[in-house]
Amino acid sequence: MEEVIKVEHLTKDYGGGRGVFDLNFFVTKGEVFGFVGTNGSGKTTTIRHIMGFIKPKTGKVTVLGLDSWKDSCEIKKNVSYIPGEIAFPDLNTGIAFLKAQAELLGIKDMTYADELIKRLQLDPSANLKRMSKGMKQKTAIVAALMADKDILILDEPTTGLDPLMRETFLELIKEEKKRGKTILMSSQMFDELEETCDRVALIYNGKIIDIADVNALKNSTTKSFKIEFLNKEDYLKFKRLKYTIVRDQEKYFQVTVRLDDSEINKLFKTLSKYQVKFISEVKNNLEKHFTEILKKELKGGEDVF
Amino acid sequence: MYFSKALFKQSMKANWVKWVCVTVATCVMLAIVIIVLGSLAINDIRDSLKDVFTQADQQSILKENSVDSYDAYNMSVTFAHNINDDETLGMIGSMFGSLTGNYTMAITNFETENGRAPTDDEKNTIKDEVSASLASQFAPFAPAMGFDMTEDELAQFLYVLFMVYDDNPTFALPNANDYIDDTYTDGAQNPAYLTALDSALNELKESLKTNLIDYSGDVAYDRYIALGETEAVANGYAMQAEALTTYAISSYESQMGNDGFEYSESAFKAEANNYVINLIYNSTKLQLGGTDMTEDEIEMQAVAAKVLANTAISTYELWLEEYSDEVKYPDMTDASIKASARDEAIESITDQIPEKVAEALEELGNMDIYGLIIGSIFYRIAGLLLPMVFVIMVANGLLAGQVDSGSMAYVLSTPTKRRTVACTQMAYLMISLLAMFLLVTVTSVVSIWIVGGNNFAINFAEICLFNLGAFLTMFAFAGYCFMCSAIFNRSKYSMSIGGGLSIFMLVCTILGLFGSNVVPSAMRIDAMNVFNYFSIISLFDTVSILNGTIDFAWKFAILLGIAIVTFIVGVFRFEKKDLPL
Repeated sequence: MEEVIKVEHLTKDYGGGRGVFDLNFFVTKGEVFGFVGTNGSGKTTTIRHIMGFIKPKTGKVTVLGLDSWKDSCEIKKNVSYIPGEIAFPDLNTGIAFLKAQAELLGIKDMTYADELIKRLQLDPSANLKRMSKGMKQKTAIVAALMADKDILILDEPTTGLDPLMRETFLELIKEEKKRGKTILMSSQMFDELEETCDRVALIYNGKIIDIADVNALKNSTTKSFKIEFLNKEDYLKFKRLKYTIVRDQEKYFQVTVRLDDSEINKLFKTLSKYQVKFISEVKNNLEKHFTEILKKELKGGEDVF
Repeated sequence: MYFSKALFKQSMKANWVKWVCVTVATCVMLAIVIIVLGSLAINDIRDSLKDVFTQADQQSILKENSVDSYDAYNMSVTFAHNINDDETLGMIGSMFGSLTGNYTMAITNFETENGRAPTDDEKNTIKDEVSASLASQFAPFAPAMGFDMTEDELAQFLYVLFMVYDDNPTFALPNANDYIDDTYTDGAQNPAYLTALDSALNELKESLKTNLIDYSGDVAYDRYIALGETEAVANGYAMQAEALTTYAISSYESQMGNDGFEYSESAFKAEANNYVINLIYNSTKLQLGGTDMTEDEIEMQAVAAKVLANTAISTYELWLEEYSDEVKYPDMTDASIKASARDEAIESITDQIPEKVAEALEELGNMDIYGLIIGSIFYRIAGLLLPMVFVIMVANGLLAGQVDSGSMAYVLSTPTKRRTVACTQMAYLMISLLAMFLLVTVTSVVSIWIVGGNNFAINFAEICLFNLGAFLTMFAFAGYCFMCSAIFNRSKYSMSIGGGLSIFMLVCTILGLFGSNVVPSAMRIDAMNVFNYFSIISLFDTVSILNGTIDFAWKFAILLGIAIVTFIVGVFRFEKKDLPL
């Protein structure tokens, strides 16, 4: 598999624990790679390195085999970017901006741009300064996608979009993926990353804690169930059985058990002998996955999300 | 080529409103300054002030002429009085004998001492020495001997005697011994001797008169040449003095013939006064005759001159009387009394006001008000202010502002090199500034043309150099602001370091103006000149341009150097730094 973006031992220390420290990851061709983390965890700093806006202190970032700092201009021929902060140049309307951007990109044919504008229901004739946050974000999306480049780097692209627009955007991303684009996208929303990404990296305090394979997570054979008993005797009796209990809430007579799909029938047979108030499946999603990992990392400390 | 047409267009779209506002405002201000002030003739006050000083000088000369003429008249009368007294004339004859005797002896001494004849200059020195020693010998006895003269007058008199000698070196009074014969054993009663003596003395008297007239002419000529007048003018005064002396002597002699004549100094002084003021009146009329003044105006001027002459003479007389008081002024000699009284009489208005005030007023009269307002105030301060605001805002907006807001990300996410971005923005700043000053130059040239072209106080070449200077100054500021904009990622730092220092320098130039030489000394505070050392605007030397020296050229070169260095530093810094985009 061709590694389109490769980050090796990337370190940039801004002092006071801020910055990124010894990052290592890669994005292969055609892959959608997600980047998740709290504010100030280093997502944007990493993306700025890939874009060649900052020079790594140590380590190396390559895009298509080219050094992202030295050959930053060359790389841009194949990279489109949506910045995390939306600020446009001092121009009047959305159209003026898109035209200026097209000129910088050397685009003559605006049909794809028009199509994007229609899809996102954008009114580009509006005054740039008076645009709402969502309108601005849509304009930025069009400006980035219209060049139809092979690599997309998107820094929190869905901020400011309403839920419907967010769906449209995610659809667009999926389509781009189908067309063979390599996409690196950061976000604070687990669900949208889960929906679009192949792999998602969790970055915390400038370090990559984990890189999760979303497909593997979705197709996982282990499931968790939350069970509440009507009385204490049943609750205590159940706890003595050999189930893997991941959570225990004595106050409500609740337990959460984790088991393989093959053990489901066995669980139901067991439960038929107890007074059960309710049973529900606890979905094993990305958020849960990372929360658990982070909790381990912080030794069961505070809730981070 | 590190140039992006698309980015250049974007910068133009973003900044054209600012450019138009600043350019139009600056051009309008300049046009107003040149045209309106040009037609107001603000040099009138200056010219009238200048007139006061020229007039004061003229009046001073007029007073001098009056007092000196008056003095010469009186001296001539005294002279005439002395030579027309037979006894005194006899004394003069014998004095002439001692004078020539002493002189020939001194010449002989010189010849034996130096083994050669003295040159003309050396002869004059010997004459001076001889007359000085004779004057000091005679002075105490002069009144007793019948000489009604001061020591000063005596010395002049002896000088004139030497002139007589030069005319006729062999002249001598007849010796009584030559006329002794048997009939008149007692000698002196020999009528032949008396006749010969009488005719010799008459010859001496006539020669003295002629030479005194020549002498008065020479003295007047020398004095006016020393005052800096032309030969023609000095010759005029010499002729006037000769005419005056001639008149004074003949006036005395004609009155002497009257019955019951008695010499009275005061009567002749009154006559002298009258003669001199009429002389001044007539000569003023004559002088103004050639000008375009009407007859009435000329009459007014002539009367004014007459009054002025009269005042000068009476002042002179009053001071002569005052200084002659031996109790009050024990140290004064006859010569110093005259000199001091003369000084008091010829004093002009400019002498009466304190020296510093006079200097300040004269400087105000000589001040180049257009050079000050257009050169030092408009081109170095007022005309720079708006372009400076433009440069500070635009330079910041071209790089730092876009990095700070993040909009630079859109440009840099396209295949555009950072050096291309920096160079394009630099080119925009340079070209917009150049275009601005080209329009300002056109405005200034047209305005100058409207108010009279090269006849105006500031000509086309000078105004073009002013514009070049203002452009280079702004170019240096643009370079510096651009460099700050390239170095800093935050607008607030770029603005405060780049714009702050630029405004600081402009303010220093405003304060420094009050300490610079272009401001008249009455308003100048020299200590404030120190502010000029804190501002690169001082390198824009408008004074040098107006004075036609080439000092401004190397200063322009420094400004250009600052601009080039700062622009280059800016481009390279922007290429190398981290961008928070």
